[in-house]
Amino acid sequence: MLEAVELTKQFKQHKAVNKASLFLERGEIVGLLGPNGAGKSTTIAMISTLIPPTSGDVRFNNESVIKHPHKLRNVLGVVPQEIALYSDLSAKENLQFFGKIYRLSGMELKTRIEEVLEIVGLTDRQNDLVKHFSGGMKRRLNIGVALLHEPKFIIMDEPTVGIDPQSRNYILETVKRLNEEKKMTVLYTSHYMEEVEFLCDRIYIMDQGHIIVSGTKEEIKNILSSEDTIQIKVERANESFIQALHQNPIISRVTVQDGLITILAPKEVNLLSTLFKLADETKTVLTSVEIKTPTLEDVFLHLTGRALRD
Amino acid sequence: MMGVLSAKFRLFIRKPWMFLITSVICIVFALLIGEANKKEIRVPVYSDLSKKEVTDLFHSLQQSDLFTFEWMDEDDVHKLVSEGKVVAGVKLEKDDFRLIVSSKTANVYLIGQYVQKVYTKEMQTKKIIESATKNPNISVENVKDALHDAKTHPIFTLEKKRFRGEETVIIDGQLQSIFGFSLFFVIYTIAYNVLYILIEKREGIWNRMILSPIKKWEIYAGNLIYSFIMGYIQVALILVVFRFAIGIDFHGKLLTIFLLLIPYVFAIVALSIFITGIAKNVQQFNAILPLIAVSMAMIGGAYWPLEIVSSNVLLTLSKFVPVTYGMELLKRAVIYGDSFTDLLYPISILCFMGVVLAGLGINIMERRHVA
Repeated sequence: MLEAVELTKQFKQHKAVNKASLFLERGEIVGLLGPNGAGKSTTIAMISTLIPPTSGDVRFNNESVIKHPHKLRNVLGVVPQEIALYSDLSAKENLQFFGKIYRLSGMELKTRIEEVLEIVGLTDRQNDLVKHFSGGMKRRLNIGVALLHEPKFIIMDEPTVGIDPQSRNYILETVKRLNEEKKMTVLYTSHYMEEVEFLCDRIYIMDQGHIIVSGTKEEIKNILSSEDTIQIKVERANESFIQALHQNPIISRVTVQDGLITILAPKEVNLLSTLFKLADETKTVLTSVEIKTPTLEDVFLHLTGRALRD
Repeated sequence: MMGVLSAKFRLFIRKPWMFLITSVICIVFALLIGEANKKEIRVPVYSDLSKKEVTDLFHSLQQSDLFTFEWMDEDDVHKLVSEGKVVAGVKLEKDDFRLIVSSKTANVYLIGQYVQKVYTKEMQTKKIIESATKNPNISVENVKDALHDAKTHPIFTLEKKRFRGEETVIIDGQLQSIFGFSLFFVIYTIAYNVLYILIEKREGIWNRMILSPIKKWEIYAGNLIYSFIMGYIQVALILVVFRFAIGIDFHGKLLTIFLLLIPYVFAIVALSIFITGIAKNVQQFNAILPLIAVSMAMIGGAYWPLEIVSSNVLLTLSKFVPVTYGMELLKRAVIYGDSFTDLLYPISILCFMGVVLAGLGINIMERRHVA
């Protein structure tokens, strides 16, 4: 088991991570969800032994790895958020280089490179220079490099940032396959809640350096079991309508983003008639009203008052 | 470490242009500036004696590497000297000579010294021939042959050691610019190779290596050895081009130069790590490097010989700059013909600078760019 115990990281006056604790059991996919700047990357940098924590501990099989990181590093693969590849080398040459630094050589290296290229779907493009790859292909190779030494644990830091939906699906399917077929334990960080929802067995949600909630998808969503999420579209934004929603005692939260008004209210209340009444009073034309089952995004909104992508 | 090195060379093969362009620019600059500075010291010569009487003497004078003696009329010699177009003229007499000068400079002193030396040798030869040919069985030709043999195959090999004063400065404009520009441009080649440590840290490649079983010192060593090799190859290549393609005479010291480049290139690699350490990012590095490289070249005597600098402040500053010792090494070995042991002082200073700067640079880099 890999465990982070009350990890804290302070950079001068700024506390990037504050007493974050989490654990990973063998064979599960754990999501670390949070907006940009929440402290996810710093947390995984500490867990992967790249930076030492200001306080707290990282334990692997009940042994601290802060001072002796090699036991963990040998079984750990890390996919960084950056494209950590040599763009002037081909995919195969990149894999050869990183394979060699993992002390792979000869037939073993050759076989592993072939397997990895197969996993990430780049066998046909193995001799092309990375600089000629699309964003999605680079991301796939970025993952491939972390798989070369057949790690038991893999930490992925936002591996789908800035790529097209097709490549994104390919990556998500690959992660799922690695977990199911190779029994690989995955810590997946993202600020896309739908990715985490699709992949992860358990989820930690981070905000401003703190882990604000954790549990299975169902457990987290149950936080909002007593509330409905209602999304309203209006013909023209009307400040008095928003004001009226804010002042209504039944509505627990109101956010407006890109013209979309999202409100949270108790399930048992019939809010629709109230909404139409408020719209009528403020001369607001409603174009659509949708009652949704709560998502992780709604939970984050409920807990922090902000959207995940704010 | 070998993995890091082989990746670096592979990357170089993909992108050799920067290396080649800086090499070509260096050669072009050194050629242009060298040609402009290649002021051979012209010395006009005349005599009231017949040309036949001074032929041997004039021929001996022309053997100089530093001065070009030209036969002229007396009036022309006086005209050139009075107009300041030459520093001195020489009037050859039977057993003596006269210098025609308009002002006393270091070069006048050197010309006088050289002509004096030639006269002494000629007089010695004349005396030997005179006394030997008193014996009717010995011909003048035999004596000349014997003298030539004695000069080319002496019984004793003499080793000369000298205390050189400021007045015995020899300035070779062409070699000065070749050495200066080679040592200057290689700073860029080396520094931009060392910079890749910073780039790889920013791009996350460094972190990947840190997480692998490879040791941190191996990553540093791979990067630094590569930078050293590339810098060394560049200077060596430039000098080889000058020697064999352009025909510059390094007085048979090309191999010595190759040896003496080692401590200089090492010091520059170390300096580059130091600069990489203090720069927070690539932009800052790009701003700092030219400032340091150009000022080092100026202070260290790469652009112009330190011998012409009279400011004590600049001369004191030059003591802290590797370029000074690099130039000193090459010039003393090639122009003054100093032996390896004579050069131990600048070599050890460069090694000392290398060790200190590399230590400081890696330390700062490790603290600042926490991996």
